[in-house]
Amino acid sequence: MTAETTELTRPEPAANATPVLEVRGLRKEFPGTLALDDVGLEVRKGEIHALLGENGAGKSTLIKCVCGAYAATSGEVRIEGRPVSFSTPREAVDAGIAVVHQHFNLVPTLNVAENLWLGEALPRRMGLVDWPRAHARAREILDYVGLDVPTDADVTALRADHLAMISIAKAVASDAKIIILDEPTTALLPHEVETLFAQMRRLAQEGHSFLYVSHRLAEVFEIADRATVLRDGRNAGTFERETMDRASVIEAIVGRRGELSGRKSGSHMRESVVIETAGLSGGGAEDVSLTLRHGEILGVAGLPGSGAEDVLSLLFGRIRRRAGTVRKGELELRLREPSEAIAAGIAYVPADRLAEAVFHAESIRSNITMPSLARYLRDPILRLVNRGAESRESRQVAQRMRVRMPGIEAAIDDLSGGNQQKVVLGRWLSTGAEVFLLNAPTAAVDVGAKAEIYELIEELAGEGAGILFASTELEEYPLICDRVLVFFRGRVAGELKGDAVTEQNIMTLAAGGELAHGDD
Amino acid sequence: MATTETGGAETAFDWFGFLARWGTLISLVLLIAFFSLARPEVFPTLRNTLNILNQVSILGIIALGLTVCLVVGLFDLSIGAMATFGGYFAARFLAELGMDSAWVVLGAVLAVLILAMLIGMINGALVSYLGISAIVETLAMSFVVTGVILGVSGARTVYSSDIPESFQIIGQGAILGIPNPILIMIATALVLWVFLEHTQPGRNMYAIGGNREAARLSGINFQKFALIAMAISAACAALGGLVAAANLASGRPQGVGETYLLNAFVAVFIGASTLRPGKFHVFGTAVGVLLIGVINNGLSVMGVATYWQYIVQGLILILALISASMNSVRRA
Repeated sequence: MTAETTELTRPEPAANATPVLEVRGLRKEFPGTLALDDVGLEVRKGEIHALLGENGAGKSTLIKCVCGAYAATSGEVRIEGRPVSFSTPREAVDAGIAVVHQHFNLVPTLNVAENLWLGEALPRRMGLVDWPRAHARAREILDYVGLDVPTDADVTALRADHLAMISIAKAVASDAKIIILDEPTTALLPHEVETLFAQMRRLAQEGHSFLYVSHRLAEVFEIADRATVLRDGRNAGTFERETMDRASVIEAIVGRRGELSGRKSGSHMRESVVIETAGLSGGGAEDVSLTLRHGEILGVAGLPGSGAEDVLSLLFGRIRRRAGTVRKGELELRLREPSEAIAAGIAYVPADRLAEAVFHAESIRSNITMPSLARYLRDPILRLVNRGAESRESRQVAQRMRVRMPGIEAAIDDLSGGNQQKVVLGRWLSTGAEVFLLNAPTAAVDVGAKAEIYELIEELAGEGAGILFASTELEEYPLICDRVLVFFRGRVAGELKGDAVTEQNIMTLAAGGELAHGDD
Repeated sequence: MATTETGGAETAFDWFGFLARWGTLISLVLLIAFFSLARPEVFPTLRNTLNILNQVSILGIIALGLTVCLVVGLFDLSIGAMATFGGYFAARFLAELGMDSAWVVLGAVLAVLILAMLIGMINGALVSYLGISAIVETLAMSFVVTGVILGVSGARTVYSSDIPESFQIIGQGAILGIPNPILIMIATALVLWVFLEHTQPGRNMYAIGGNREAARLSGINFQKFALIAMAISAACAALGGLVAAANLASGRPQGVGETYLLNAFVAVFIGASTLRPGKFHVFGTAVGVLLIGVINNGLSVMGVATYWQYIVQGLILILALISASMNSVRRA
């Protein structure tokens, strides 16, 4: 925004049919992978356009190419008909592309007006910042987008939908031609989503254009004028508001792959129950009652924020339980800290390997034995570790997990993602775990390692371990799960067994829909 | 099993990696060689070697304790004040008791070390249970400790006439020609090396320093180990100050620990870019301490003005930090 402008410019009415943003034949190669292949996209003036697709379908790569964070390998991006190419994100901003990220790019220590002016030259008077004028201008902008908060308010004290609107206001004030919203509703409560949508709709009617990226199908059906679906880096369909029905959009998102294969080796499920919860609540999960049997691979699925992942965190004592009980055999578990879960024979693989699982700059040996060091002690007082026993055990684990490594003493950081993950999974083989909580165990792992990790999970189940599995990639559930609980808004929305475990069914339940046929 | 998946070119020699590992050791060897050639009759003698080790022994003891704290990722800025604390109170207790007996001395030394550990545990508790920044908390604690010493002492030094002989032996005596401070430093190094590398608590501390959340998810309790680490750091600082007091035969209530505080950090950070880049470890700290000792001794043997010691020491630390950061940049 500029200090000189006194009137906020409404976009000119759509005189011609030239799209605001047009992407043609976009191709983006990374070493070894083709992330985008001949992708097209068209956002018209005054339109709210949804961009849909699974994780890894290419949505974020596409956005990064459009906003100048990545250079496309080939293809064309046009803004209002003019071809553009950016080598820095700043150039994209100057060309009228504004991106509002999940966390709204606001600085928490600055107030509303300061955030609105962030990155722009503040108005000055005799060399000093003219704060009255800066606040007055901020007020105008907030009024324009219909946001009634004081300009000197602390941004940390504001509601999530207000934060989203401030980010949008910033984009509007900078004369953005197109505002890209990347998962803007992740942190929002339902009524906050409503107010955000109402204001977005009004802005769209006045000629502002939005590209809206979301996982939440229900919201897309509510707000989007049109939608483009990506799958495996290609266009998988574009829908007009009239033709946008749930079934065909879901099919475009997941494709036909989900029907292809079931489990390779059949189920290892036994009769005996290994862990059981009743009315478990905590984090985003509400009133979850589930039973996990020995040898069973039970999936918990749901969109981000649905509470599915939180069930794993609760069972490991990672987040606090509000209500409910967890029983393992005769024992009622307290699970206030992960150490108590480990002692009860529970293992956990977190979703973010580098931030939460890997001990950086430590050897592979150390990374394997860290939770089980007590097993190799020479004495109970000095607690000296028997290095020989430790090395033997860690070698056996690495071999069993088929870790490809230069040697057991090599630093974990030198392994590929897949091999690191095998180490992380393998560390629980020595703790006597009977329950494995696996959160996205194949995240950021290459295809070959993925197959190996599936096999290892099957092996664990074959030996009688109970496995609770969560993933951001829906196609994994039909591949390995005996049964899947699908979460919607914190609660179990449905249970799928055997052949009913398909991507389509999971997606339908996760989006809050009903299955057409019975689920068994 | 024998191949690595990281692949990449194995053609070019990895100079960054090599220097990150060996840079500080190479500098140490080059400095020793340089001083030995420049002053062959003075520098490379047994007497001067013992002299260097003796000069760095107090710094060494303090820096070794600090290493443990940094392994769990906590800064301890109270080590200077704790060194003064150890020296002053050991001398003061013994002066008050007025008995020259080995047992009384041993009792006083143990009492001071236990007091220091308690203060360290208070640091650990405030930092881990209340989540206060360790830098700020230990800085605050050093003011409190300094104030207590000044209050108790009335800013008056305990002089040698009041300090029993058997205490002074700790700092002035020698066994088989090796001065006691050197032996105490070596013993501290051995104990802490075994502790950090070969016991479960030590290994758990490395896990916490490597990734605190991953450690928690492996059942390792950060609070407990923060307490232990800060207790060790405080006790080593007090031990260092106590050896200094025994060596000088005086219990000074101020101006003791400050000189060691910054050098201890320099030594430990030089150590963290030795052999195992990015990791604090006992051997590395020993190399850092020796490097400081060799620079100071060598330059003064050559008759170079004192300010050069600061300049050379600072430059070597900068080089060590650059090589360490190169290594992490390369990895990222």
